[in-house]
Amino acid sequence: MAITRRQFITRTGLATAGAFFGPSLFRNPLLRRAMAETIGDRYLIVLFLDGGNDGLNTIVPVNGGSVGMRTDYEKWRHDPATSGGIRIVSPLVPSLPMTDTNTGTQLGFHPGLASLRDMYDQGRVAVIQGGGYPEYSLSHDESRSIWRRGAPLSTPSTGWLGRYLAAAGYLGGDIPAVTIGGSVAGELSQTATSVLVFERLRDFGFPYDLDFDSDGDPDDTTFKNDVFNALYAAASAGDHPFIKYIGGTGTATLLATTSYPELHDAYVNRSGSLNDLYQNDDPPGLNTSTARNLREIAKVIYGVATGAANVNARFFEFSNGGYDTHSDQGTDNADDQQYGLHKEVGDAIKLFYDDLASMAAEGSAGSLLENLDSKVCLMVWSEFSRRIEQNDNGTDHGSQGPMFVIGGGLTGGIFGDHPNIAESALDEDGNTKYKQDTSNGARSTDFRDVYGTIIKHWLNVTDQPTLDSLLPLDTTLGFSGPDYWTAANFDMGFLP
Amino acid sequence: MSDSTPLTSLADARHLLRRTGFGATIDAAQKLLDDAGTRGAAADILLDFDPTKFKPGGKYIEDRHNKWLKYMIKTKRQLQEKLVLFWHDHFATSYDKVADVDQMSLQNRLFRQFCKGNFKSFVKAINKDPAMMEFLDTVRNHKEQPNENYARELQELFTLGVKDPLGNPNYDQEDIVQIARAFSGWDYDDKGVANLHDGDHDKGDAEEGWNPPRGPKVIYKNRGGFNDPSGQSFDAGTNYAAEIDNVINIIFQHRYGAPGSERSTVADYCAHKLITFFAHPDPSPTFVQQVVDASNFASTWELSPLLKKIFVHDDFYLSAAPPGMDTKKSVKWPIDYVVGTLRMLEMKLKGKYQYVDGGEGTSAMDHLTNMGQVVFFPPSVFGWDWETSWLSSSTLLARYAFARDVTGARNGSGKTSFRADKLIPLDLPTAGTIVDAVTALLGVDDQISSTERDALIAYLTDGAGGSSTPVDLTDEALRNRKLNGLVATVLQSPIYQLH
Repeated sequence: MAITRRQFITRTGLATAGAFFGPSLFRNPLLRRAMAETIGDRYLIVLFLDGGNDGLNTIVPVNGGSVGMRTDYEKWRHDPATSGGIRIVSPLVPSLPMTDTNTGTQLGFHPGLASLRDMYDQGRVAVIQGGGYPEYSLSHDESRSIWRRGAPLSTPSTGWLGRYLAAAGYLGGDIPAVTIGGSVAGELSQTATSVLVFERLRDFGFPYDLDFDSDGDPDDTTFKNDVFNALYAAASAGDHPFIKYIGGTGTATLLATTSYPELHDAYVNRSGSLNDLYQNDDPPGLNTSTARNLREIAKVIYGVATGAANVNARFFEFSNGGYDTHSDQGTDNADDQQYGLHKEVGDAIKLFYDDLASMAAEGSAGSLLENLDSKVCLMVWSEFSRRIEQNDNGTDHGSQGPMFVIGGGLTGGIFGDHPNIAESALDEDGNTKYKQDTSNGARSTDFRDVYGTIIKHWLNVTDQPTLDSLLPLDTTLGFSGPDYWTAANFDMGFLP
Repeated sequence: MSDSTPLTSLADARHLLRRTGFGATIDAAQKLLDDAGTRGAAADILLDFDPTKFKPGGKYIEDRHNKWLKYMIKTKRQLQEKLVLFWHDHFATSYDKVADVDQMSLQNRLFRQFCKGNFKSFVKAINKDPAMMEFLDTVRNHKEQPNENYARELQELFTLGVKDPLGNPNYDQEDIVQIARAFSGWDYDDKGVANLHDGDHDKGDAEEGWNPPRGPKVIYKNRGGFNDPSGQSFDAGTNYAAEIDNVINIIFQHRYGAPGSERSTVADYCAHKLITFFAHPDPSPTFVQQVVDASNFASTWELSPLLKKIFVHDDFYLSAAPPGMDTKKSVKWPIDYVVGTLRMLEMKLKGKYQYVDGGEGTSAMDHLTNMGQVVFFPPSVFGWDWETSWLSSSTLLARYAFARDVTGARNGSGKTSFRADKLIPLDLPTAGTIVDAVTALLGVDDQISSTERDALIAYLTDGAGGSSTPVDLTDEALRNRKLNGLVATVLQSPIYQLH
């Protein structure tokens, strides 16, 4: 049963915290210049697992540790030999032990995540346990929106990364970010600068009208281009500030509709291109939407790293769906639902990093391509985890779950505490309790600590007032108590 | 500025209609010119309507969005709908939090009811509007812990602004706290009628024994031009429900400025915002003060005379000029762009989902989402960000895609199709006359430079001709490609994004 935020009537919540997500801070030109280009030659990708990924079956207790976690796990998740059981019998244990420091429980990956386990062994995966927020919502829409805007207790119109982009001084004619999908990802939402949206580079372009009867009619697009460029050049040279702005932004937009599609050919034609592997059916596993979406991102990154004209995007977002496994969640078998999702994502990510390494090999010392696989950081989140006790053959919506930060330039390992799944520790909905203290036997990780660590250590924002303004503490909104985010930890340790 | 200033130019008439509605045809502008004669008479004609009781219906909020959009496109009461859109942005309330379609529609109808009525009564009604009470937490305002959200936004956004035009703060935290007490215990029943639960209302220190005491129910001890350090009391004794009306009465008496030249804070704030919506951003203080004084707004609070004074002012007509260094223009809102374009092309959207009958059949709501404005879903209580915030790579591409879809709707025969042959005489002989007719159709003929006109002519003639090159619009294939393309190009042009 979903608990809606509206049922928490004791809050003095704000409909917006515009005063806190301070635009005034961002209008300071000196600060903005200092903020610009803080990502340097790196890249950041955000991957959203849509539907609420079952964390307990993703990072699985292997033994009992000091609290008997595996015993509890087996109580809640039935043996697959029984009908509908979703217990993971043989979690994949990495060679580098993955131990929950709080309880000493040894942990393993879902069998579908063999590729991620391999990357973990290379020190390229940080698993952050218990990711969530206070007053957690079990509504897909609401929770997703909370994670994207980075504000559980207020409703700014900006995304957490969008606020960073605005603060960093990007303008309307810049395109620092791309969403692979249908519309601008909520994380990137803001009104300062442009986020390109497309599904496939090959199909991205200016919306030309191509439907007129073309029995031998000449192609109109050249003339369309000419007039568009002429009108927008005239505007760029205009006197009125709005016309000038439109001229600049429109010109940049039109350029993007040509410079971006060109990235496709450059990527496919590069010597040693791994292009075909993304659509490989043999061995099966790739040729998935996640692989092909990541490939689009690879094309853009390759373009930026080889100095392609008019391509400067360094922030990306995409998603994979199907995680709302109320039924038929499955277990260790390759045909099972959650297995298939994990394999799709794990294998695609591994290929993507192999691809980046292959591109890096092309680059000379000091070039933008050098060490490319260490310059790309990929964060994975889902809007909630799932209920601890399974239902017939699946799971319902839950509270906190694991987040992942992946890449070559980070400090891999396990962070945060595994949520306490003992019966006495669950709430009345059968979900693990979100707590910022240890009163429930395990401390949750507020997702804002993960965001903040990325902003501070990957995006190099060290100015404290800026950090406070991008991710205000719950105390600034008047909340206090063990559930709330009252002290930020932007040095979680998974990024140097 | 004067009511009796003649309205003689078609460009001025089109400007007036464009700003007070969503796009107007040349014929409509000519008719206004003929019927009015003066600016005052034209304003009177536009303001002469009784607000309708229209309330968008439908099962889901998307249906109600589409019903309202359809109404905007077809109603003759264009100024009414333009005002409703303004008030929706001003008293911004989002379905995201309210999550009740009936409350959103009720609020929509309230905006219509008061759109040009008495502003003070309007604000008193908003106090008790269920959607607003949900959105800004009035229903969660309890005597033990009064919720300050509405008390803050009521002053900051709805009536006074954070600071007055001279830069002095209009209220302080104590004012917010006290006003919040007035609203404690308010709720609404399932018919949407607001009522006060006495038991949950802060009845005052004596009755409730607050520790620490919350003091007398007064506001504006140190500001507002009242010059009374003991503050203005909204206490109504045991008539607790009257406190919120008293609060509004006091807010509306708030004044700013040096002694001897004080002005009404609410009047200037409200007039300023209306001017930025109807005329242009950044109006001079003189413009604001003149329309407030000439309409007596600060005494009567009647919006209709205030609007009239805005519509006859010289500064209002300044933005009719083509964009230049000192001209003041505004960026069209996505709703302006979509609704205005459809109205000027005399087109309708199709079906329950109100989609454009060209391109991929994308719904207007999806187009508007990509452009950054979905009514019933303002991004926050601050409303939408205006002017150049509407425009970025992605939102411009969204406008271009809409233009392509609209002019690409060539397969039907009814009003959902783009019928260039009905809008432009097909016997226009030359590239120049055709370009002039198209730019006139879309209301930018007086706005574009000769360079831009030449570029459009080059497009029409495939780069080969000039203004006097003959073009045969009776050639259907040519028309389908070039005339449709020309209209799309103008819709995608920089100047068309402004008004």
